[in-house]
Amino acid sequence: MKKYIERLWNGLLKENPVLVLMLGMCPALAVSTQAANGIGMGLSTLAVLVLSNFVISCLRKVIPDSVRLPCYIVIVASLVTVTELLIKAYLPSIYEALGIYIPLIVVNCIILGRAEAYANKHTPLLSVMDGIGMGLGFTIALTLAGMIRELLGAGTVFGLRLLPESFGMTIFIQPPGAFLVFALIIAVMNAIGIKTRQRQLVESGCDGNCALCSTACEERKAEAAADAKPASEQKGGDKA
Amino acid sequence: MNNPSLIMIIVTGALINNVVLNQFLGICSFLGVSKQMKASISLGGAVIFVITIASAVASLLYDYVLKPLGMDFMKTIIFILVIAALVQIVEMFLKKKSPAVYKALGIYLPLITTNCAVLGVALNNVQDGYNFIESVLSGFGTALGYTIAIVLLAGIRSRINEKDLPAPLRGAPIVMIAAALMSIAFMGFGGLK
Amino acid sequence: MNAAVNTVNLSSAPHARDKWTTPFIMRMVALSLLPATVVGIWVYGWNAFGIVALAIVSAVAAEWVFNKICHKPSTIWDGSAVVTGMLLALSLGPQTPLYCPVIGSVFAIVVCKGCFGGLGKNFINPALAARCFLLISFANAMAIKPVIDAVATATPVGAMKAGEVVNVTKMFLGTADGVIGSSILALLAGGLLLWCLDIIHGEICFSVLIGFTLFMGIFGGKGFDVNYLLAHLCGGGVVMGAFFMATDYVTSPVSKLGQFIYGCLIGVLGGLFRLKGNTADSFSYAIIIGNVCTPLIDTYIVQKPFAYRKVGKTRKASKEPFRIPKPVIALTLIAAIAGVALSGVFSVTKDKIEEQEVFKQSVAYREVCPEATSFSYDDKAQEILGDEGTETENATIYACYVGKNAQNDLVGYALSVGAKGFGGQVIMALGLTPEGKITGINFTELKETAGLGMRADEPEFKDQFPGKSVSVDLVKGAPQDDNDISAITGATVTSTAVHNAVNAGLNFYETVLKGGN
Repeated sequence: MKKYIERLWNGLLKENPVLVLMLGMCPALAVSTQAANGIGMGLSTLAVLVLSNFVISCLRKVIPDSVRLPCYIVIVASLVTVTELLIKAYLPSIYEALGIYIPLIVVNCIILGRAEAYANKHTPLLSVMDGIGMGLGFTIALTLAGMIRELLGAGTVFGLRLLPESFGMTIFIQPPGAFLVFALIIAVMNAIGIKTRQRQLVESGCDGNCALCSTACEERKAEAAADAKPASEQKGGDKA
Repeated sequence: MNNPSLIMIIVTGALINNVVLNQFLGICSFLGVSKQMKASISLGGAVIFVITIASAVASLLYDYVLKPLGMDFMKTIIFILVIAALVQIVEMFLKKKSPAVYKALGIYLPLITTNCAVLGVALNNVQDGYNFIESVLSGFGTALGYTIAIVLLAGIRSRINEKDLPAPLRGAPIVMIAAALMSIAFMGFGGLK
Repeated sequence: MNAAVNTVNLSSAPHARDKWTTPFIMRMVALSLLPATVVGIWVYGWNAFGIVALAIVSAVAAEWVFNKICHKPSTIWDGSAVVTGMLLALSLGPQTPLYCPVIGSVFAIVVCKGCFGGLGKNFINPALAARCFLLISFANAMAIKPVIDAVATATPVGAMKAGEVVNVTKMFLGTADGVIGSSILALLAGGLLLWCLDIIHGEICFSVLIGFTLFMGIFGGKGFDVNYLLAHLCGGGVVMGAFFMATDYVTSPVSKLGQFIYGCLIGVLGGLFRLKGNTADSFSYAIIIGNVCTPLIDTYIVQKPFAYRKVGKTRKASKEPFRIPKPVIALTLIAAIAGVALSGVFSVTKDKIEEQEVFKQSVAYREVCPEATSFSYDDKAQEILGDEGTETENATIYACYVGKNAQNDLVGYALSVGAKGFGGQVIMALGLTPEGKITGINFTELKETAGLGMRADEPEFKDQFPGKSVSVDLVKGAPQDDNDISAITGATVTSTAVHNAVNAGLNFYETVLKGGN
């Protein structure tokens, strides 16, 4: 039971997909213009992520290794399209609210990243928990950024006006603001000492960009362990 | 649908609506690869090739196969397969003809498959209703914009010395701040007609 | 970060001069800015003084606080914060609200300079980046309102863009409207002083000016008319940018050739933005784009020649013998299964989706044509429109419905019109009375930027339309005429799309629908 809870906690904080693993930045930056968008996108991604992790984990012995990436992509794209069609047909009000985000999920590196790094090496149930954890972490990161951007940019949070309209600094609703707010959140996390995976790695010498490190990270972890620093007990490697 | 001049399509894709700094596509590799100038240039070149050809093929497939058959909903899958195939081809070609370059690119090459920018451009072309020529130019412009952005950021990062930075900013935050400042600069192109 | 000059500095900038220490340089720069500051305050009044004072104080305070937080020795005595504050203040308009220089200075010192490690480590000009930051954040507040010439509606640069002739002498002296640091005479005095002291590089400032002049001469439309070129040179921060901003040696290239290229790039971009852009400021963006390119220029102009080629570009696919590897078969199989599954779901949901679309449309039509109890296709109109709708120059008319009430009388028209917006097509239902007056618009598709383009859906914008007929004109700011529509600030593309679509619909009425069915 503990290892399932651990997956949840991992996705939320220690290996938060957006803030630590730097996956899924594309939709995170684009969508976090308002807090409500953050929740919408986050939950849609969570649903697709859980399904995708489950399917890929079930098929992990079947998918040939050399074409695994394209296979994953096909599976994910199908899942997303199916989700979109179903919501469009049967839940039109939800589609009005969330509709534009759903196609964006296809290009969300988190789903592929977790498929590659976790789901194809672990059992379906663990993969599902991982999906939930990562999805929640994604949602929280997006909502937090969305709240900040909405507050600074328009003076509202979830549509509730907190600051007078004239205080709006429009830049925060636009691309530069997205970068700045995320930089701020990550910097604050670092400053208050949240020991994320990235922090440990940065301190041990790598640049912390897990999205690309893959096997190189394994070697560095081994080195770090050899240096008598307690290595994090992560199962599985990092994402491609 | 208005038909903007062909030069404008390239300029729009590259500068005015820059794929990375405005559309937020391709951020993952943008933040990661820009650490090294050489890798950035190599990746940029590869991306230009893949996106331009992928735009062309996707446009043809959509106009002559998917749309007439009413299979619009299949476009995502088909486009991705095209992209995966293209990257595969590039990989095989480089491995044979230019092993040094292949090695230099290393892991970044297969990453192009998962680069949101590639799929994003193909889908955008469909949405904007571009014909074949326009799709190719739009793809080329977008990839050019990606290359410009990543190379410029690589230049900036080469100047940053981690030791000078306040501790919490080391690693990802300072790169994002640099990207924010670049984004502000590029907004100057925003008003161009 | 210390200001000591005699340590060996391995980074590219700032270069330690033999004679000048950093504090000395900063003091000279501040001194050279003084004439322009004094003239600005004298011409524009106490507002200007407040802005200058606040900018400087905020900058120094921000640097002091930031150094404290980062446990670094205080650097406020090297004078660079003062200079940044002055530069920022001089680039603001005299009516700018006082929170702007404060926020701007903090942004300049903390984000642009401090985060990167302090003096000498920034890659972008802090004052200019802060100015652009303010321009984007507070678009309305930063707009320069004429102070001196109460009749004018725009600054000289704005007037020039509209094709009017301006008084160049006033601009030269600094008595025309503009930013606080508008006195070209005063700026030139300071700038030339710096150049003579060898504190700034002539290669940069003069290539900026020459690049700009050449570009405006070739592309400005008036040839090399002296008055025209002088007017453009004297307005919009060109001189200040050339002498004081672009020349900042932390953010400009090291080599002479690099500096020349950098200067020309800025000049040309500045000209391009001045002529073709519609952002509030052309030169600031041109210079910070130059800054962004500086590291690249430095890397390649010094070490490698221009012939450095990109690697990794391939043109032909390889000519391997054609075999289908087994994994590809697996992939194809998976794709095929996915395809079949998708088709299945699609055919099941297809009708439902269409139903939803139609329902959504009819709700929109009902809202703009409330008296109608039924809508029907007008065959003749539809024939003209065709199956996919008609495309005009910049909009599309998709469909035309005739609204009838219970007695089968014509009560209005509902047109479905659309135009290309920022994030896709903007499609709306346009309601017209039988006489061709707009009853309202209701968006059926609007995927624009949140907070900007999406505001088209708010009553403030939508309610401008009812009652108008024949055609509408888009204006920035308040409407002057009956047929004027105020654009949404910061959402020009979206506003233009709506305007084009509405006009297309109105035009269709005038040419086809008018005078009965």
